[in-house]
Formats: sequence, C-alpha cells, structure tokens
Amino acid sequence: MMRVVITGLGVITPIGSGSQSFWKALVAGTSGIRPVTSFDTSAFPVHIGAEVKDFSPAGHIRRPPESMGRGSQLAVAAALTAIEDSGVELRNFNRRRIGVSMGTTSGEPLFAERYNDIRKAEGLGAIPADLPPKYPCHVIPSNIAIEIEAHGPCLMIPTACAAGNYAIGYAFDLIRTGRVDLMLAGGADAFSRITYMGFARLGAIAGERCQPFDKNRQGMVPGEGAAVLILESLDAALARGARIYAEVLGYGLSCDSHHMTAAHPEGEGAVRAMAMAMKESRVTAEDIDYISAHGTGTPTNDRIESMAVRTMFGDRASKIPMSSIKSMLGHTMGAASAIEAAACALALQTGVIPPTINYEEPDPECDIDCVPNRARETHPRVVLNNAYAFGGNNASLCLARFER
Amino acid sequence: MAALSERIVITSAGVICSIGAGLEQFEQALYDGTSGLQNSTFCGDQIVTAEVRDFTPQLWLGNKGIRVLDRSARLLCVSAHMALDRSGFLASEQPERDPELGMICGTMFGGLHSIVSFDWSGLTEGPAYVNPMAFPNTVINSPAGQAAIKFKLRGINSTVCAGLASGLYAIEYGAESLRFGRARVLLAGGVEELCEESIIGFQRADVTSRSGSIRPFQGDADGTVLGEGAAMLTLETAESATARGAKPLAEISGFGCAHDATSTNAYQARAEGATAAIEQALEAAKIQPGQVGCIIAGANGSRAGDDMEARSLRNVFRSDIDALPVSAPKAAFGEAMGASGALCALAGAIAIGKRIAPPTIASGSSERNLRLSSKPQPFEKDFVLVNAFNCDGNNASLVLKRWIE
Repeated sequence: MMRVVITGLGVITPIGSGSQSFWKALVAGTSGIRPVTSFDTSAFPVHIGAEVKDFSPAGHIRRPPESMGRGSQLAVAAALTAIEDSGVELRNFNRRRIGVSMGTTSGEPLFAERYNDIRKAEGLGAIPADLPPKYPCHVIPSNIAIEIEAHGPCLMIPTACAAGNYAIGYAFDLIRTGRVDLMLAGGADAFSRITYMGFARLGAIAGERCQPFDKNRQGMVPGEGAAVLILESLDAALARGARIYAEVLGYGLSCDSHHMTAAHPEGEGAVRAMAMAMKESRVTAEDIDYISAHGTGTPTNDRIESMAVRTMFGDRASKIPMSSIKSMLGHTMGAASAIEAAACALALQTGVIPPTINYEEPDPECDIDCVPNRARETHPRVVLNNAYAFGGNNASLCLARFER
Repeated sequence: MAALSERIVITSAGVICSIGAGLEQFEQALYDGTSGLQNSTFCGDQIVTAEVRDFTPQLWLGNKGIRVLDRSARLLCVSAHMALDRSGFLASEQPERDPELGMICGTMFGGLHSIVSFDWSGLTEGPAYVNPMAFPNTVINSPAGQAAIKFKLRGINSTVCAGLASGLYAIEYGAESLRFGRARVLLAGGVEELCEESIIGFQRADVTSRSGSIRPFQGDADGTVLGEGAAMLTLETAESATARGAKPLAEISGFGCAHDATSTNAYQARAEGATAAIEQALEAAKIQPGQVGCIIAGANGSRAGDDMEARSLRNVFRSDIDALPVSAPKAAFGEAMGASGALCALAGAIAIGKRIAPPTIASGSSERNLRLSSKPQPFEKDFVLVNAFNCDGNNASLVLKRWIE
C-alpha cells in the first residue's frame, strides 16, 4: 500500500480563487456572503448567498465556456489551477493512469432550470438540442478529463454535501493501490435556485450572516464553488521534488439511515465515520489536533455535530480546535468538503488554522472550541475533515502534516 | 493495513425492469427473448420505451412510507428488497441492522422528475409554495439515501454517476470497498427511472430511435429506446459467503475503465478507450482473451456507440470474435441508463452460471460479423465480459467468473 500525498490545490470560492488568495482571505476571516445576484430573490423571505463573483471561465478554459455548464466551468478552472499549483508535468505521465473523481450535490442544475424557463416561456418544443447533453452530472469530471487529457478512471460521486470527501477518498484508494498514478479529486456546485428554494422553504437559510456554533445562529447560507486536489503517491511526489501540502491517511464513511434531511439525533453515524477514518489512518483520538467542522450554521446541525464530537473525544472535545469555514464561504454544497479539505491541507502546511467568524455568544449546546473570529497558529499534525449530507451520508477524511 | 481480500462474489440480486421483476422472471424473460418495448405511458403513445408497466411497489414494500419515495427510489427499494430478502438480510428480528451493510448505487440522473418538478412548482406557483417534503428528492443521491432509511443500511452509502457506465463503476466501487474491509456486505448496482424529462431530453439530443425499435449492432439501427429499472447485486467476500453458506452466482474477476477525453457527447470512432477498458479488465482478471466464453455487450442501437464497441471487440479478440457468442440484452430491456450496467452485469452473472449466452432480440443480419443470435448460445469457458460505454468517452468493462470453490 503506497502513501498518498496532496501536492496541488485549485480552489474557486466566494472569497477568492487560487490557493494563495483563498488562504489569505480565509485566515483574515473574510466573508463571501452578499445579496444574491444569480436570480431574483424578491419572492423569497431571504436574500443572501455566497456566489463566486469574479470568475471569468474564458480566462481558464481551453474550450468555449458555453460548451459546458457553470458547474463544469468552476470545476475545470479549479482543476487547471490545481495542476499549475502542483507543478506537475502531465506529459510525463501515462495518460491512462491519470484519473478524475468529483463530488457534487446538483451537478449542472442550471440546465434543469433553463428547461423549465423555456417550457414556461415558449413550450417544450423550444428546448434546444444542445441543452440535454450538458445536464447529466457526469459531464463535470468528463469536462476535466477532456480539458487535461486524462484517460483513466473518471466519475462523479454525487453524495450531496459530503461529496468532496467521498471523491477524495475514492481517489486515495486508486493511488495507494497503484491503480492510477495521478488523481484530480474534489467537488463542484453552481449556485442554483432549486437548492436555494429548497433550503429557503425548509427555513434553513440565515437572514444576514452565517454564525456556526453561536447561540443565536440563524441558519446556513447557500453558496457555490469548486476545489480540486492533486493526489499522487509519496514516492512519485518526492521523485519529482514536489511541494507536499499534506498526507492523506484514510477516511471513513457511514450512513445514518434515519432521515433524508435531518441528522441522527445523537450523531450516531457521524461518530462511526470519524472512528472508521481514525482506525483506517492508524491514529487515535489523542492524535487529532484540528477538526474542520461541517458547521453549516443551522441550529440542529451544529448542536448534533458538537454532540458527536463529544461522544467521540470525550472531555477532550472542547480542547480540540474545530472551526467552520462555512461562516465565511457559506455552504458550497458538493464543493464544500473539498474546499474544506484544501483548507485542512493549507492549515497543515502553514501551521495556522482558520477561524469561525461571526461568533459572539457561546452556546452551551455547542461546547467546543470553534476558533472564534481569529485564525490561530497551532501547528496541527493530524486533522479530521468532517462532512455530512442529505441521505444521511457521513464522510470523515483524515489528513496529516507530511513527515518522512 | 491488512492484505486486501481478493475474491469478491455476487451472492444474490434483486432486479426490476421492463421484462420482469425478480431474478427468476428476469432470467426467464432474458432467455425467452421477451421484449419490454411498448408505447410509452409517460409521454404520449407516439413514443416507444421500455417501462416497468403497472409498477406496484407495495407488493414488496407494503404501504408504509411509500408516499415520499419518487419513482427512482421506489425502483431502487424494490430491487434492494429482493436482494436483501434472497440473502436473508431482510429478517425483521434485526432491530438495528448491521452497520457493515451498505449500498453503492449507480445512476445517471437520480430522481430527474423530482428535480425538474420541484423547480417547476417554484417557478409557476412561487418559492413559498414548493413542497418541502419534495426537496430531499432533488439531490442525486436521494434514491440511495431513501433505500438506506427503508432497510436500515447503516454502512457506507454512496452514489456514482458515469452515464451508461454508472452501474459497472458502482459494482467495482463496491468490490473495492469490500477488499478494503470497509463493509461486510454491499448492495451494488444501479437505478434509473423513465420520465417525461428524460424522454424529451434524449429525443431533442437525437439519441432515440424514430422507428421505436432497438437493433444492436445492426446496419439499419436508428437509435436507442430508453428503458428503466434497477438491479442490485449482493456483494461480499468469498470468505463471508462461505461462512454463512451462501452460494455465489459469480465472482467479480476484473474491472477496467478508460476515458477517451475527446467530447462529452460523442463516441470515439477509433475505440481506443473502449479497447483499453476491455484489456484492463482482462488483465485485472489475469486472463487471456481466449478464456472469455461470452460477451454481454452494452450495444443499444446507437450506430456510433455500437460501431465503437464492435471495433473494440475486434481490437481485443481479433479473429476469435467470429466464434465468440455475443449478447446485446438492451434489445430486450432498453437503454436503462444508470441501471443498464448493473442489468447487463446481472445478465452476465446468470449467463456464466448457466454457460449460455442470452439471445438478442431482433438479431440476424449483423453487419459487423459478431456472433449475435436470436437463440440462446451455449459456451464452454468460465469467464464473461460485460461492457458499458458512455457517449462522454467513459468506458467500463467488467469480467465475471463462473463460481468455482
């Protein structure tokens, strides 16, 4: 079994794109949450979102941007950024041994929305021929594969808000068994009115800001973005003198099998996913020195997540720094855990952990150290990236500072 | 990390599609050459599809909790019910199901009708009037999530999208998860529902047959016919199967996948990726092409796709292909999209158990000199190759082995 490392990061987020500007914004506690501009929110009770504002796909993508949807555009841009960041020379690889695994919640939902817009305005007869083929979510990893000429395994794992962790775990397995030499793994989601409508109707969206773990937290904030991580074997990374952000130690998956949208009341599945990730990574609860929380900012999620961490770590739970970068980025859906994995890798590399912003009043039901408002230099060695999703899907990824 | 468990077997399956529900009915229809193609009930009777007619999920699932499930979740739950029942995992005396029992589900769209309808409701009635109960069905992993709740599957639960190759990717994902010991028993396969939106979408994209027929590998084929259904295979290690006295249907022997990376919407004429996928699958199975006894083709009547597959078979098997039985079962159950890889894999598992290739409906005058037949074709060897190639350049192949202890 080979050791697997992360050697490149590509992020396109509401607070900045490219690993350096993203990290700078994250450490500074920058919020990417603004009034929504993708569509008219006047009929909604809420109006904020975390959209990627400064994104021009034409600057990134070889093919005409209109040949693909926004989910693919964000994903391809993240992939190209990651490759550039890693310094990897793709021409030195057997193309059949380069693969892509991505995660998403909705894929290319803007085409489903356009289908309905056309249906309403002109009738179904007016649906253009080139619309349907751009919709299925598997086109997102395929568009990456085409852009970089990756001829290996290629798939989408649409496990909603935990999808990025699933995709990274899948890539980890392919690399460590030696089936593939280079994997591009991550997640992407475009800002969607379907998602916004759904969360708004559930009353889950905050009115003004995202305040994970705060006593007065009002909810989550839908967002969009993409992250792609470059995974390769440690040997290959050392051989090419690559910069190593972090090592992937293992992951754990579980299912609550309890409710489609609500977490298990005791976080039973979340605990099993963490335990499985740590067992596979051969680390103990004492080794974990940072947790990247799912931390959506909804009253229930943050309470149950805190409870799960307490079940897992006992009294140590309140001593392990556990921040939610969703306080800044909003909830970027299928991209979220991939962006958070990138943040974990940067934390391990720089020694700094990002804060939970907008934190004002402690909640006794969230008795954790959420790294309130200010980044902290703690030099973490082993971190857990937790992600939870609709369908009761739980995924925990364990990353470590690279040490020989 | 302990050594990986090498032998993964299929010990049971549940299936529902246009030609039947349940393993016995599916096998019977497959070998009788029964066609599932009929005029659509979704989209006017001018269109032919391969629907699950008179679908009554209550027969398997009872009435409780059915209302919240959309068609794709119902299809998946019915197939999962059958697979669990046959495997003895449905016993009601288990209050909390084994946390090492999980599901990997391939799909192309998830609940497409749920997604589009939810948006339509918001667009026409206003966001305040959308049904909050319908929102969870708009996530693509909803069918697998609903099945997990229904059957208390607490182990790993994942969904895979790779177009028509989804089912085979899901089976390999399941097999790999078992090799790593992440689960004890997994249901792996695929699901897809038919709905107005998928029918219109494929029609607009000019993929479906105007004549309403499906003629795999035939010179006069004019497109595919959409189908639907679900197939879930019960996967476990050979040790686990032996320990609980379950007799495997077949062994998962090798998987290969390769992407052509040229277009998201065109098959690659040179068949490089398809050829590589087959070669990798044979290599992973540690066998030579000559050891394959039968091929379950993914051919679905799309000229470009079928041409590519025929070329890939000739690239790998050379002149041996002339004598090798080939079945194209999508002629019977239609192109069931995210479910079709799993339906074909199940057909392959049945075929290798019987050592008889299923007949291909409407075969006869193949231009491509493949040994298709409207009659069942017996063979001698121990391996079957199953192909699933998607028009975005994603190609997957699976080799199954006859179960030998």
